[in-house]
This record gives sequence, C-alpha cells and structure tokens, in this order.
Amino acid sequence: MISEYLRTLSHVFKMRGIVGYNGLVYALKRLPLIGKIIPDRLYATKELKAVYLVYRILKESFLMFIGKILGLGIIYAAAMVLKSVYRNYEYAQGMSDSILYSNIALFLFLAYSLAGTLLNTNMFRCTTEKEYMVFMLRMDAKKLNDALFVYDLAKLVIGYLLAGIVAIICGAPVFVWLGFPLLAVFIKLFAAGALAFFYEIKHKHNRSMKRNIGFYTVKLSIAMISAPLLFIVLMNGGLISFNILIMISALLVIFGIWGYFKLKMLDPFLHRKALQDNIVRIEAAEYKRRSKDNTRSFKKIKAVGNVSSSKKGFEYLNALFVRRHRGMLYVKPLIFTLTVAAITGLYIYSNIREYYVRFGSDNCLNMVLNNLKNLLLMKRYDDNLLPFDKEDTFMLFLRWLSERHLLALLIPISLSDNTFKSTQAMYINCDNSLMTLSFFKQPKKILELFDIRLRQMFKINMIPAIAYGVVADLILFYSGGADHPLYFIATIFVSLLLCLLYSMTDLLLYYLFQPFTTTVNVKSGAYMIFSVVKWIFYSMVFWIPCRSDILAVILIVIDYLYIIAARKLVYRYAPRTWRIKS
Amino acid sequence: MEFVIDGLIKSYGSKKVLKGIDYTFEDGKIYGLLGRNGSGKTTFFNCINGDIDIDSGSFYLKDNDEKIALKPEDIGYLVSTPTVPEFMTGREFLKFFIEVHDEVTPDKTIDEYFDYMMIPEDDRDRLLKDYSHGTKNKMQMLLNIISSPRLVLLDEPLTSLDVIIAEEMKNVIRAQKEGSITIFSTHLLDVAVDLCDQIVLLNHGKLEPIDKNDLGNSDLKERIIAALKEQTDDQ
Repeated sequence: MISEYLRTLSHVFKMRGIVGYNGLVYALKRLPLIGKIIPDRLYATKELKAVYLVYRILKESFLMFIGKILGLGIIYAAAMVLKSVYRNYEYAQGMSDSILYSNIALFLFLAYSLAGTLLNTNMFRCTTEKEYMVFMLRMDAKKLNDALFVYDLAKLVIGYLLAGIVAIICGAPVFVWLGFPLLAVFIKLFAAGALAFFYEIKHKHNRSMKRNIGFYTVKLSIAMISAPLLFIVLMNGGLISFNILIMISALLVIFGIWGYFKLKMLDPFLHRKALQDNIVRIEAAEYKRRSKDNTRSFKKIKAVGNVSSSKKGFEYLNALFVRRHRGMLYVKPLIFTLTVAAITGLYIYSNIREYYVRFGSDNCLNMVLNNLKNLLLMKRYDDNLLPFDKEDTFMLFLRWLSERHLLALLIPISLSDNTFKSTQAMYINCDNSLMTLSFFKQPKKILELFDIRLRQMFKINMIPAIAYGVVADLILFYSGGADHPLYFIATIFVSLLLCLLYSMTDLLLYYLFQPFTTTVNVKSGAYMIFSVVKWIFYSMVFWIPCRSDILAVILIVIDYLYIIAARKLVYRYAPRTWRIKS
Repeated sequence: MEFVIDGLIKSYGSKKVLKGIDYTFEDGKIYGLLGRNGSGKTTFFNCINGDIDIDSGSFYLKDNDEKIALKPEDIGYLVSTPTVPEFMTGREFLKFFIEVHDEVTPDKTIDEYFDYMMIPEDDRDRLLKDYSHGTKNKMQMLLNIISSPRLVLLDEPLTSLDVIIAEEMKNVIRAQKEGSITIFSTHLLDVAVDLCDQIVLLNHGKLEPIDKNDLGNSDLKERIIAALKEQTDDQ
C-alpha cells in the first residue's frame, strides 16, 4: 500500500514540477526585453527542471515548517504565558505545572484544530492539479485522494513534532509532544470521514456533492464567534477541566477511527463524482486575475438614438459612438462638474442665509442683486454690512491661486478628464474592429478621425473645466475683484486651454502608440514611459506662478503649436502603430 | 495585373515562419493557400496587410512591367474571427463605410447589398454585437465587395460557418474573383480544391504551386498530403 501511495505521489510531484516549471518559463518569456532573449528550448532543459524541483521541495518544506510553527508553536508558547497568568487564578490552585500547562495547551489546541477542521477540509476539493490527473490523465480518484490525504497527514505529524520542540522547551510533558500530532490526525480523519458520510447521503438522494456555500458560511460564522468567546473565557480565568478535555480527545479519537473506516469504505466512484462536483480552477482563476479582462464594462451598449443624416463618414461614426457611449464618456466629467457646482452653491447659499439672519430680508435682497450686477459687469464684491474679510487667510490663498497660479488647475483637470477611458472605449468598441480594414490605416483618414475626436474629447472635458474657471472667477470676485475685467475672461480661457492640452496629450499618446490589448490592458513600454514623463512634466509646471492674462496668451500659442505638431505626428506615425495587440 | 512577393522573411524570435517567399499571383484567380495549422498562413497575411513588421523582402503590384507600390486601400482583408464595431447597426456600418470610400461609386443601395449577401431583413437594424459569426463574416465580405480592392486576402473565412452560409460565401467569392487577386487561406483540402483555381502550399515557410491542370487528378490529394507531411517531418 505504501509503495502505491509513493508511486501516486511521485506522479503528482512530476505533474507539479512540469506545471510549475513551464508556468515559470512562460511568465519569464512574457517579460518585456528579457522575454525576447529567452529561448523556447528552456522548456526542455532537464538541468533547470531538476533545480526547479529542488526549489519546490525546499519551498514545500519551508511552508510546512513555518505553517506548523505559526500554528502549534504559537499555541505552545501562548500556553506557557497563560500558565504563569493562571497561577494567580483559583482554577490553578493545587495543580502541578505540567498538568496546568497541558490543560491550557490542550484547550487551545482543540479549539484551534476544530476551528481549522471546520473551515478547511480539502480532501474532495478538486484543484486544477487533481482535475488534470483524474479527468484528463484518467488516474484513479480514490488512489489520488488517499495518497494526497496521507501525504497531508504525514506533513502534519512531522510539522507538529518539529513544533513540539517549543513545547519541550516550555517544559511540557512528553505526551503533549507526541499526543497532539496523533490527536490532530484523528481529528482530520474524523472531518474527512464525516464529509464522505455526507456525500454518501447526498448521492443516495441524487443530490449534487458540491460543497455547500451556506453550510460553509455557518461554519465560518461559528469559528468567528468562537474566537472572541474563547478569548473572554481565558481572560476571566475560566478553563474547561483537564479531565473533560481528555474525554473530548478520546471521543475525537473514536470518531477519527470511524472516519478512517468511512473513508476506506467510500466507493471509488464517489471519489470521482465528488471531485467532479467540486472543481476549482485555480490556475484559470489566477490567470484571469493576472490578465484582467476589462472589456465587460465597455460592452454595455444599447441601440439607442439615431444620428442626423447630415453627418457623413467619420463625423457620422463619431456621432454614433458618442450616442451609444454617453454614460461612459459623460458621467465622470458631469459628476465632477455637479460636485463643484454643489459645493460652490452650498457655500454661496450658507453665506446668503447668514446674511439674511443677521441683516434681514431687504438688506439680503439688496446685497444679492447688487453683487449679481457687479459680477455680470466683472466688478467686485461690494457690501458695507459684511465686507470681504481681509484677514481671511484661506480666502487670500485661494485668491492668490486664482490670480497668479492658474496652472494649478491642472490638478482638478487631470482628475476629471475622461480621455484615457474614452480612448479605451474607442479602441475596444470601434478601432479594434476597423484596424483590419485598409481605409482605416490611411494617414489622411487617421488624421481626419483624430481631428474629430480631439474636438469631441475637448467638448466632453470642457464642461468641468468651465466649472473650475467659474469657481476661480467667483473667488476673484468675492476676494476683491480682478485688477482688470479681462482677468475674469482670461481665467476661463486658461482653464479651457489647459483642458485642451490635457485631453490632446492622452489622445495623441493613444494614436502614437496604440497601447491597448484586446482586453484593454496597456501593453506598450513607450506609452508607459511617456505617461510617466507627462506626469513629471505636469507636476513640475503646476507650481510655476504666472499672471492669468499672460498665461492665457502663452497657452494659446502653446496649444496652437501643440495641435500642429500633434497632427503632423499622427499623420506620420499613427499608420505604423495603428495595429491590434493580442 | 500581378501581385509579386520577393524574398519575404518573417521570424518570431528564433523561429523562422516565412523563409524567403518568392511568388507571383495573377488577377482573376482564386488562390488556395493551403497549409497545416500553425504553418504561418495568418502571419503571411498579416505581413502583407501591414499588421506586423516583416524582417526582409518586398511585395508590390505589377501592371505591364510597371511596379506599383501596394497601398492599404489596395487590400481587402477578411480575418478568420471577424470583428465589427459593436456599437453600430449593420445598416449604419454600411452607410459609414460607403461614405468614407468616396473613391467608390456604389452600384447598389444598402438594402440591395444586404440582399446580395443574403443578410436577413430583421438583422439589418440590429447592433453588430448581436450578429452571429456567419453574419459578421458576411458583413466583412460585403465591405470587400463594396471597396473592390485589387488584392483580397481571405483568412479561413469558411471556418466555423454552417453548411448553408459556407456555400453562400463560396458563391460570392467565385462571383467576385474577376478584376482582383484573391488569396484564400484554408487548412481544409476539400475546400481548397472545390473553390480555388490554383492551390499554393505554404511549405517549409515558402510557397509552392500545385499545377492547375492537376486539380482534377485523383492523385492530387495524396500528393498534397505527402508534401504537408514532409513539412511536419522536417519540423
């Protein structure tokens, strides 16, 4: 029997070695730069496979050792600490050190083992490894389950015996060191046997053997509630007597023997059936997690709305795209706009209300109307009863920002700008499918669509940009007005020009590098580098102070030159990069 | 008019997929590009369509000994797994496609095109994302018909189509062959023999013609299979 277990285990380890090693080489080959120089023959290198196998064995031994030390080792150490605490309680009067230690350690061990068993009974859990071996390589499910179970028990015993060194150091009697690992084995046998028993009943009633999530939740809840209760009992000097704990242990040993026979008698067919019903695709789930497919959020399209027949060609394509992606394109900028409007509105409302309470309705009405007129005429806030407080440091800081530091608007603009997500939607729902068509790669047509999209992105992102400009103007107005009425206009212009600059950069990077894969993940080193450079540049420039009117003129020139340069770059380079990435 | 390929080489890492292809395709013919799975048929098409960079070589059109550079608009490429802009309906997509091809004067209305491709009426105003695989394929074929490119690349267009749609597609491909060079890739020998005027084997990373006169010969299948087996043995 043992030789059969060993043979089965050797198959399992070979399989683990192959899957693990090939997975490692595959992952290395996917790395940028390094991946390209790694040859395919690495998959067949025996020496490296042997090195990998040694690594796996070391890793498994290490994890086993660490796991047991963390579990049982901590229990032994905790029992040592609690023993000295319990010496002060009435419970421990007249007990020898060795019995008291054993009593506490057994109490903690039973709680730990039962909670662990409740949550973690994996015998019939079908991992990808088991799936390969049983359903693809047609290995006997019972043999595999039994061999892996015995292997787990052996690991448990060896690990617990090693952890028992802590117990010996703590002065525990030998039966604790030797007895706990054996007790753990019986508890495991009991849990697995109980599961086999439930599966037999389920099969008898033609029910699926799938692990019951509701039952698992109940077990988890019991374990979670028990932990604090256990803590309270211990903190108050309470403990279950040693004799009762010994009786519980004896019962568990009997249950364990029952479990052993239950497992032994379980029909091999039910092993296979139980595995079939409990397949857990670990590698698939892991792969899915790593190479996240982000396309789902982009696929919520409905055939709503038509587009005016006056639009033709790419204008028509763009109009339809915007129509069918309204939520995706507009929600984020609108949320930012409404948030800014709501905060500003609430602030103005609270001021007016305070004024109303203090100075009455007539004065309040006068103040509102006069200042509304002043605002429209681009003058300044004017009120004798509640003038602008020149000592208000925060407001003076905001004024300084609005008057001399409008480049700081890049921060809110970068937060509300939706160009990156829009380019993802453009790629996955539109460009991706048109890139195989020849007309879509013609420089002139690429540029035509780029122009349309640049206008569209600006239209979408200008909504919050205008809101930011208006807020800056309100700050200027309230805090003493601008030196020149032109400042009010310049402020809004600056906000719009910065918005154009920001949107254009993201759109340009998309056109120049087409970084997206068919799962909308970014796969372009150059794109990532330029994105980082873009952020470094923004974070450097937004500290630079500049008068708004001068800034507006500078930005008009920069935006103009940038548009010309961007169009030239797109015309020249986009046809080369306008390709589908897998 | 001819389509000439001169010394086309493409490798992936150390694996040479196309090992110096030299071949001349003539217009008015359907060429069956036959090769086993993974022999490089799609790579060959992607190279010509400019979707991947080639390592070396050149390809061009030749008309009365005059070399004409191959432009994107000269190529019509039908990929094996058709992708279409999912946010548009079939009708909207065709309208857009016709409008952006201002060099083309369509000889039919949109509905006549749909009728020609036997696309059902109730599909025409539905989003393309809800189209079946076969109907998406038909839409792609329709784009080729409208734009009438000089070189038509069909990458396993009949794979996974049902018998009826596959037969309809074959008829359309036959009807459209005049005036253009059609290269039709497949790994199904029977389809190639049934549809094509000439069979070209993608063998050892090179193209090898099968004599047109042999197409009716019963030994042909055995010879092709022997040639393809030889390729595998070499690998």
